[in-house]
Amino acid sequence: MTPESTWRLPPLWVLLVAVALILVAEVGGASMSRFKVEQTRWARSVMLARPLVHGLVGVRDVDERILDEALVKFDAGLRLFHMHAEGMGLVIIATTTVAATLVRSAPARAVIIALLTAGGAGYPLGYLLWAALIPYVGLERGKTIAEWLVWIPFGGATIVALWWLTGVVALRLVRR
Amino acid sequence: MSQLRPTVERLAAARVSANAQAHGLSGSAEYDNEVRDRAVYGAEAGLSFFHTHAEGLGLILFFTSTLVASAVPWRRARGALYALLTAGSLFPLGYLVYGVAVPELGRDAGIELAERWVLTPLGSAAIAGLIGLALCLAMTRSRHAAETGPLRSTPGARPPLQ
Repeated sequence: MTPESTWRLPPLWVLLVAVALILVAEVGGASMSRFKVEQTRWARSVMLARPLVHGLVGVRDVDERILDEALVKFDAGLRLFHMHAEGMGLVIIATTTVAATLVRSAPARAVIIALLTAGGAGYPLGYLLWAALIPYVGLERGKTIAEWLVWIPFGGATIVALWWLTGVVALRLVRR
Repeated sequence: MSQLRPTVERLAAARVSANAQAHGLSGSAEYDNEVRDRAVYGAEAGLSFFHTHAEGLGLILFFTSTLVASAVPWRRARGALYALLTAGSLFPLGYLVYGVAVPELGRDAGIELAERWVLTPLGSAAIAGLIGLALCLAMTRSRHAAETGPLRSTPGARPPLQ
């Protein structure tokens, strides 16, 4: 088998990050199921303590609808964290293996692998942050904070690295 | 699930009616319909979770066991990790049990059965396997660092995937 036709391992720290991310996703999923009632109770109590943030008016019918919507989004944030963390763990392993194998230039390879790892590991945490922020700052403000602090920088890193990797692979195909 | 959805719903509803006592059906149409709907929804949710988790965990087993084969140098550790990760990949079967048990045993008893006997043990195996793999990767990395200095990113320094 020629070196060209052999898949190469990315650096071990990258694999460690990916496996740790999948592990966190699994533990998160199990915790969501096991502590669902406690989590809901906590989120509800934090929201009730901040009526102005959530637009609660003191009328039960109105407030319950607002609280229910926020709790559904809170639960959705946790679920999306679970799903994205599992998925991005696999994406890190697969894409960094492609980069380790097919990107010839050592500096480019190191940057692509770093971007894929940081982006992939950071992005799912945005959902966890969003879920945690909803009870404190409300749906929209929580989403804005998560977007600017996590989704845009880390998602951007992944997108840049994936386009770069695509370009490198396409260039190699053309030069063959 | 998509094509046979009406059939699945009908079958689940029939099993709920056949196990009226387990579901606490009272004979009042309004109350019974609500209980039946919840149980059918539970059965469908079980099947839906089975579908999504089976797709995801199949890939996780594929990638993590490839990592074990490539990056864990100890034979016994590899064997233990394969066993744990493979058992963990069977976790989605718990949702199949969930989907069948809810109409048969009642919502709470069905969920309890699936969680206690399938989801928790197999999910714990997956988590234990992943913790083991993470520890092995960390130990391999520190061993590499001790023997050869920091890992280099030149192609020759990295082992091929097995």
